[in-house]
This record gives sequence, C-alpha cells and structure tokens, in this order.
Amino acid sequence: METANRQQGEAITPPAPPAARKSAICNLQSAIPRPVLLFDRVSKWYGPVLGVNQVTLELRGGITGLVGANGAGKTTLLRLATGQLRPDIGSVSVLGHDAWGQPGKRLVGYCPDVDAFYEEMSGRQFVCAMARLCGYDRAEARRRTEEALALVRMTGRSDRPIGGYSRGMRQRVKMAQALIHDPRLLILDEPLSGIDPVGRQEFVALYRELAARGKCLLVSSHELDELEKLTDHVAVMARGRIAAVGTLTQIRDLLDDQPLSVRMHCDQPRRLAAALMALEDVVGVELGEDGGLVARARNPRKFFQELTALVLEEGHDVRHVETLDDSAEAILGYLLGGRRGS
Amino acid sequence: MGQPNLLHYRPWRGEFQEPLLGVWPVARVGLRMMFRWWPFWVIYGLGMMIFLFFFFGQYFLAWADTQVTEANVQLGGFGRYDPHDLFRILRHALKLTGNGETYRNFFWYQSYIILVILALAGSMIVGNDIRHGSMAFYLSKPISRWHYLLGKCLAAGVFINMVTTLPALVLFVEFGFLDGWDYVRESAHLCFGILGYGLVLTVTFSLLIVAVASWMKTTVPIIMTWATVFLFPKLVASMLVDGLQFHPRLRLIDLWNDAYLVGNWLLDVPPDRIPPWPQPAWYEAGGVLVVLCAACLVALVLRIQAVEIVK
Amino acid sequence: MSTSAPETGPPAHDAKPEPENLTLHTQSSTLSAWLYLVCLSWQRQARVRHMVWISLALLALTALAVGVQTLSAGWGLEGRPWRSQGRWMGLTYEQALGETYVATSAIAPLGSPGAAGLDDGLLQSAWAVLQRSDFIRFSNSIFRIFVSFLLPLWSLSFGTEALGGDREGHNLLWLLTRPLPRPAIYLAKFVALLPWALALNLGGFALLCVAAGRPGLQALRLFWPAVLCATLAFGALFHLIGAYFRRPAIIALVYGFFLETILGNMPGYLKRLSISFYTRCMMYDAAGTFGVQPESPSVFLPVSGTTALLVLLGAAAALLLLGMYLFNRTEYVAAE
Repeated sequence: METANRQQGEAITPPAPPAARKSAICNLQSAIPRPVLLFDRVSKWYGPVLGVNQVTLELRGGITGLVGANGAGKTTLLRLATGQLRPDIGSVSVLGHDAWGQPGKRLVGYCPDVDAFYEEMSGRQFVCAMARLCGYDRAEARRRTEEALALVRMTGRSDRPIGGYSRGMRQRVKMAQALIHDPRLLILDEPLSGIDPVGRQEFVALYRELAARGKCLLVSSHELDELEKLTDHVAVMARGRIAAVGTLTQIRDLLDDQPLSVRMHCDQPRRLAAALMALEDVVGVELGEDGGLVARARNPRKFFQELTALVLEEGHDVRHVETLDDSAEAILGYLLGGRRGS
Repeated sequence: MGQPNLLHYRPWRGEFQEPLLGVWPVARVGLRMMFRWWPFWVIYGLGMMIFLFFFFGQYFLAWADTQVTEANVQLGGFGRYDPHDLFRILRHALKLTGNGETYRNFFWYQSYIILVILALAGSMIVGNDIRHGSMAFYLSKPISRWHYLLGKCLAAGVFINMVTTLPALVLFVEFGFLDGWDYVRESAHLCFGILGYGLVLTVTFSLLIVAVASWMKTTVPIIMTWATVFLFPKLVASMLVDGLQFHPRLRLIDLWNDAYLVGNWLLDVPPDRIPPWPQPAWYEAGGVLVVLCAACLVALVLRIQAVEIVK
Repeated sequence: MSTSAPETGPPAHDAKPEPENLTLHTQSSTLSAWLYLVCLSWQRQARVRHMVWISLALLALTALAVGVQTLSAGWGLEGRPWRSQGRWMGLTYEQALGETYVATSAIAPLGSPGAAGLDDGLLQSAWAVLQRSDFIRFSNSIFRIFVSFLLPLWSLSFGTEALGGDREGHNLLWLLTRPLPRPAIYLAKFVALLPWALALNLGGFALLCVAAGRPGLQALRLFWPAVLCATLAFGALFHLIGAYFRRPAIIALVYGFFLETILGNMPGYLKRLSISFYTRCMMYDAAGTFGVQPESPSVFLPVSGTTALLVLLGAAAALLLLGMYLFNRTEYVAAE
C-alpha cells in the first residue's frame, strides 16, 4: 500500500517508497496474473510544465476511481492510457502491450470528456462507424452497434442526428462507442459530468454491470458522492503524482496526522466525553449543543475497539455513531491540503 | 449561528462608460489573440521584407550617390555620363524618388500580405467567436451587436495599417531625412495621401473580411471565399484586359485595383502613370468601393439578425 | 506511519509481463478498417458544403469567362485590334499582316530574289505565329488563372481540410483511439482527398479547355500530366501542413499565394523551390514546339519536362512519407 505523507500546510509529496513496495496495487481479482493497466514510473512534460510525475500504478480489475483537483494530471494520465500521449519517461502498457501501439488500443475503450462528434451522423451511424474503424465488417459492426446501444439504452433514440441530442444522450453514445469492440479496459473521463441524477443512477448501474462482466474500469470524476457509490477503490492524484491508492477506509486510516472525527449521540455526553479523553488516541472532544459530541481520534481501528469496550464497560447509552470525514471529499481535502473538505 | 463573515466586499464604484467605448476592448482582445500566435509575426515579417526593400533601397541609392566622384564614367560605346545622372535615372526607374508613385507602389506590393493577414484575422477573431460560442460573452455585456462588429473591424483595420500606412509613413520620414526639409514642405500632401489611402483600405477591406467571416464561420471556407473575392477578380481582370484586350472598365471587378486607383488619386499620381495600362477612372473605382461597403453592411445586418449565439 | 504489506502479484518494476494473446478480436481486420476510413473521409470531405460550393462556383465563373471569350472574339489574335501606336493603329492583326504582305509584294520585283524570298519567309512565319496565337494566348491565360490560383486553391481547400478539419472539430481523437496505425490513418486521409482534388483540378481543367474550343482541347492533351503531378504535389504538401500546424489553412495560404509567387519570380535558382515552377516547366516542355515559352527564358531557367515530372512525383512521395512519420510522432491533445 502506497501512502502519502502530508505536511501541514504544504503540498502533497509522497515519500520515496522502498523498492519492495513501489507498486500501488488495486487487486480485486487476484486470479488475473498480470495487470490490466500498468503505469511504470511514468512522467510527462508539457514543455516546461510537468503534467505527470513518476507515476507507478497498476490496475488489475474492478472499478477504480481517479480523483484529484483541477490540474492534478488526471486527464493526462487517461490520455497516456489511451495512447493519445506518450510518456517522456517510463512506460504505459495494457495487458502487456504498449498503450501507444495498435494492439494496446484494441484492448481499451475510451469515453472522453470532450463533446465532439461527427455531428451530421445519427447516434447509430456514429457507433457503427466506430465499429467499422475497429475493423469489423458491415454485418458484425451492425450487430455490435445494436448490442452496445441496447446496453446504454439508446436503441430507440439513435436515429436522429447527434447535433440534436441532449447531454445524457451524447454521453450514452460515447459509452456505446467505447464498448463496441468489447475492450478489457474502459477509461471513462468525467462520465457523469452534466448528467441528471436519474441518468447518473443508470450509468452507475451500467458501470457495475460492466465490472461484474470482468471489465476493468478507470473512472475519473469530480462527482465524489457518485464515485463513492460506484467504488471504494480510488487513486488520488495531486500535482502530477499519485498521492494515495486504495480503499477510502484504508487511505483514511493512514492519515495519522488527520484525526478521525466521530459524532456520537448518547444520554450522558459529558460522562462519555470524560471517559473518551482518557483514551490514548483521542486528541480532543467537543460537546455540541444538541446533546451530541464530536471526538477526534487517531488510529481509527484501535479507537473503535476501545470505544466499544468503553461503552460496554461503563454502560453508556450511545444512540448514534457517525464518522464525519470518512468521505472521499474529506479525504481528498486532507490529501490536497485542506482545499476541499467537509 | 452568527452572520457569515463576508470578505469585506466593496461594491464597484466606477461609472459606466458609453457602449461605444466598449469597441476598443473588443478590438484589443482580437489583437492580442493574433499577436500571441507566433506564425503571425512570421507572416508580418514577410510583409516587412517589402518595406525593407524600399527602405534600404532608397538609403542605398542615397548613400551610393554620395560615394561617386564628379568624374564622368564611360558606358561602353554610349559615351560618358555623370554618375549622379545615372543614379537619378535609376531612382526614377525604380520609383524610389519619394513622390506619389513610390508610396503607391509600396501599397500595391503589400496586397498578398494583406490577403493572408486578413484571412487569418477573419478566421481567428471572427470565426472563432462563432465556432466556439464565445460571442455570447460579448453580447451579454451592455453593448450592441454593432459595437461588437465595429470592434472587429477596428482590429482588422489595425492589421491593415500595420502593414501599409505605418510603414509608408516611415518611408515618408526617411525621405524627409535624406532629402531635407524641402521635401517635407513640398510633399506634405503625400502624407495626407498616405493616410487617405490607408483609410480607404481600412474601411473597405475590414468591412469585407468581417462580412465574409461572419457568413462562412469555419476556416477553410473563409480562406476560399476571401481568396476568391480578393484574388480571383484580379486575375480575371488581368486576363480579360491585359491578355484579351477587353475594355479597361472590366478592371473594376478587381477590388484591390479599385483601391489602388483611388490611392493614386489621393497621392496625386497622373493617370497616365498608373500601371497596368489602360485603367478606368478613379471615381468609377471609388463608386465600386462605396457600393461594396454598402453591400457588406447589408450582409452584416442580415447576419446579425440571423446569428444564433447560443448553441 | 504504518503501511500494509504489498498485495499479491509481482511488483511492476521487476518483471515485464508477457503480452496477452489477443484472441478476442480475430473478427476484425486492419485493412477493412483502413478501407472504411478512406471511404468515410472521402464522404466527410463533402460535409463542408461551403467549400464544395465555392469551388464549383469558381469553376463555373471561370468556365463562363472562358466560354464567353471563345464564343465572342475567340482566342486568336487575328481579329484583335492592333493596340500599339503606329501606322497599324485601328487595324486588326490580320489586316496589318495583310497590308505588310501587299507592301512587300509591291517592292519585291525591285529587289533581289533572295531578299524577296526572305521577306516571304518572314511573313509566312509571322502568319504561322498568328494562326497559333489562340493556343498561345489560351495557354498564357491558363498559367495566369489556373496554375497561379485555381490549382493551388482547390488543392489547399481539400488538402488542409483532410486532417485540419478533424483537428479543428476536435474529432481526431476518434481516429487516434482506434486500433489503426497512425501512418495508416494519415495515408487513408490522403487517399480520400485525392478524388476531390483530382476531380476539381483535372476535371475543372478539362472543363475549361472544352469551353475554350480547339486551343483548349490542344491544351488539355498537352498539359493534363502537369496538372495531375501538380495536384499530387500540392495535395501532399497541404496534407502535411494540415497534420503539423494548428491553423493549416493560413500556413498553406502563405505558401500557396505568397511564397510561391515570390519564389516563382525570384531570379536565379531560388524559384526551383516552388511547385508551380515545375508545373510550368512541364507545360512549357510539352508545348514548346507550339510557341509557348516563358517570357524571359534566360531568367526563368526552365528544366526539362522529364526532370520536372520526376521532381513533382518525388516531392509528392517524400512529403507523404514525411507526413506519415510526423503524424506518427506527434501528439494531438483534444483541447487544441
């Protein structure tokens, strides 16, 4: 597990990990012997600006979220994975094939964030054209087109020119063309941007379905609430580096310098607060006006074990326990220097 | 909960100016857009090559004139000639005498650069707004569409004057330094002629390029239309009048030639010294330009009424 | 700070995993994809309707001008008035030559037979030139309008639009993320633009020649290889410009109408950098025996037709290969 040290008030600078722990691995399907997507010490410059800095990342399956502030390097990373850019240092491979080359591109389906199509075409024609450009003959392309459109629920709406589509319809067409050649890896850049809540639920369900079918998805998004519903595994980028990779809980656990905030409601908050202060990992307790209290504690796993023991021993009537900053947004905020947080 | 602690916000205390003053910021944005694109300076440099030919050509002749002695030179079997006379003949042949023909020629040779720079201006500063939907930002401000168009025409006019009027004025000043203040006193009307010629070019071609770009929107059609309007009539007129000896009034379809004729009149060049010969009258050419400007304004009115600024 | 042990699986940096066999995509064919891309690109060239209509309008206008000239006064000098000052002012060329013949015939008996023969020979030569003047004048018109303007403009329009249009519309990423080799994409775009460029250049040239009547048909027979080679060379050049520059139409315009004009009129050998120089050389070589030649051969310094042909075809091939190489190396960011 790779983590990031964060100095208070300073930018995120991950420590140089030991050689044995250089890889950040999201391993949901450990049966897959090789990574689906591998960034191996990748750096990319845009002139004098360093877009991606020594990124090493492996994806072996499932859904991985890619989060970060604007300008963190997420889109650059995705473009490296889809073969639009080449790394200046390091390599990017998809199931062992160079992402820049033709075999690698066969394995990748890309849903970009740009909103550009062959506007004169209908959705069906566009997806079929993409299938033909993948090398399928006409019959096969048509068959795959219908399958992809059915998967994204656009079968009955694909005959109008794309120029007249809504945002959600355009997103579905993008998704359909990404799926047309049955790729192993799906790269989705801001797939939920501009989509209404109902549409988002449908897309989230679709992504889960695709992951269940064995595809590996890398989803870049600012919609952290939706991303949390979609996956627990995230890679956090900051200033061109991977700041942290893993489940949200794991990342949170490792942020030792950011004590976990836990709100509790009980019958005797003062008594509970006094008892909590005696615990070694509790750094502070704040009493609220509504009869609740907020405890801030390091080492969450140990804290919850001790809290459970304390409650049972002393007979506190705890009615509600809630972690306040276990969300992706809060974690992101801590990792990115407090610019975003609850 | 107490009142939120606002960031000591102070309301803007200035005074709103007239919408007409918004024209210059619109032009300025277009100018910056062009100036930031480095190939523009390469193209401008190519245009300045012609200016440098004139500038250093005049200077070279003046310098060479001071280097020769008073002794006559033998020209083969043609006899002996005063070298100063030879330089004078050369200056007249090259039209580097500082009279109206010098500046007329300079404006004429800049035609291809004007073609390219205005094509670029049309694509970047007008076409971009329509293509990328940024016109909405302008028109959401308290200015009318006419102010917007005026700003674009002003930007195009700046480019035209950068290539023609300003260098011509520099040449005028150079002639003044080389030939003395008598030249400035006697040729002051040429200075006004240069400004007038520049004004004719500015009004005519800025309106034309803005009208073309507002109708065509994408780059290649803008280029094709502009090249057609600018170059094709020139070639056809040359073919018909010079090649096939049709009536010289057919040259009126060549817009650059029309401005050229008006410019010759402003620069006080006699009609019999206007190549290529024959030419129509300057007032006929002026009439064509007036009609052209009116047609461009009509086209812009129609376009303004029809343009969709929201995608 | 505690860190957990690494997950299962070899560290990425220690061993390169073997590429997975691609068994899922045996139904796809790169050649099929390439052919489809050619077809798609050819169709999409027509979507810029303004471009097509402007091209056709230019062709129609030029053909109209040529046709009017053909039907009214024709292309020959015989019926044209003598323009210069002198005793033949007001006469046609034919009349002026006829008067000269009558005058020399009247004084011939007073001179030597040799002198009379020489006079007769000169007048017959002048008469032959006059008879061929339609082809010469039509050819000069072709150089002025077609070679200097229409040919580069039509080539520019379709050449820069092939890749430049996709870049401007942010559509290039759809091609770059397909499993097609990049040089193949570049080549497909070039092959797709050729029918349009050739149809307009060769077809337009043929139409103009037909509109000109007899001299036009002669010009078509002699000049079509030059037009074909120039189309290939200009197409390759503008296609390369479209791939490499962000605003290819402007760069192509600078080259086509500024540099070509300047280089073409430069004294010495500098003009040999321009495509239109070799086009003209092919035309001069083909029609040299018919009196078509540069105004100042000692300044123009033409090369032979064969050399010009090889240079144009070689330039087209070299520019195409260079473009394929550059396209393979260049990264296109969607936001540009």
